[in-house]
Amino acid sequence: MNNKVRELRGERGWSQGDLAEKLDVSRQTVNAIETGKYDPSLPLAFRIAKLFRMTIESIFQPGKD
Amino acid sequence: MTRLSKTQHDLRVFAAMAVYVVLLLILLPHARRAEDSLLRLVYALLPVLPLLYVVWLLGRRIWQADELEQRTHLIGLGVASAVVGVFSLIGGFLAITKALPQEAPALLLIWVFPILLFSYGLVREWAARHYGGGLCDEADGMPAHVRLLIVALIFGAVGAWSYFHSTDNFAFGVFCGIATAFFGAAVVFGLRRWLRPGNHAGDR
Repeated sequence: MNNKVRELRGERGWSQGDLAEKLDVSRQTVNAIETGKYDPSLPLAFRIAKLFRMTIESIFQPGKD
Repeated sequence: MTRLSKTQHDLRVFAAMAVYVVLLLILLPHARRAEDSLLRLVYALLPVLPLLYVVWLLGRRIWQADELEQRTHLIGLGVASAVVGVFSLIGGFLAITKALPQEAPALLLIWVFPILLFSYGLVREWAARHYGGGLCDEADGMPAHVRLLIVALIFGAVGAWSYFHSTDNFAFGVFCGIATAFFGAAVVFGLRRWLRPGNHAGDR
């Protein structure tokens, strides 16, 4: 799955630690999501979408497979 | 219940393990010599208390972990359970066929918990790295080389204690060997961190 989390975070000038704190997850989890190594659960995806005031599908797009 | 930082968690685990080792060294010889069976029981079981605290800390950490961390905990605990199961099975077969010395089954049981924790730590580290992180991540806790150095110091202190208070040269050799191995690992991790570009000031 592809996502725009890094891009959106960068636009707001937040560090991975800042975003992790806002989402109540670890910095490693934010890093894993941004690098596409981990796809978040639906509740976490909703929290991310709510934080950036966007819809889930505008942040997360299905990958090639 | 507030979530402990990794450094706070590590320090508590180290403190509990240090208490465990000290209790083990002080009480176990008394347990062997104690005439009263109740006293023997107390001496034998008191070192378990700090281990129970470590188990509680581990449970608390898993309970308060986020979803990815819980996944790495699950992978670590799953593989560790399998490793311990196989280890116990092999030990059991060897004991039944009397291929081991008579006192070996008790010693095997003592090694179950350390093997469980070691396998769990190793596999969880691998799982965390698989997701782009790592338990040795300096940004979220005590640097790996400092952790290893503390463990080396604990074992070194126990070795020194063993040298001055016990005639058991084997125990002294084992503790010194373990301390040296952890010290060597601390040096390797420290050098690796020092040689990593941009990490000299600890800025990440």
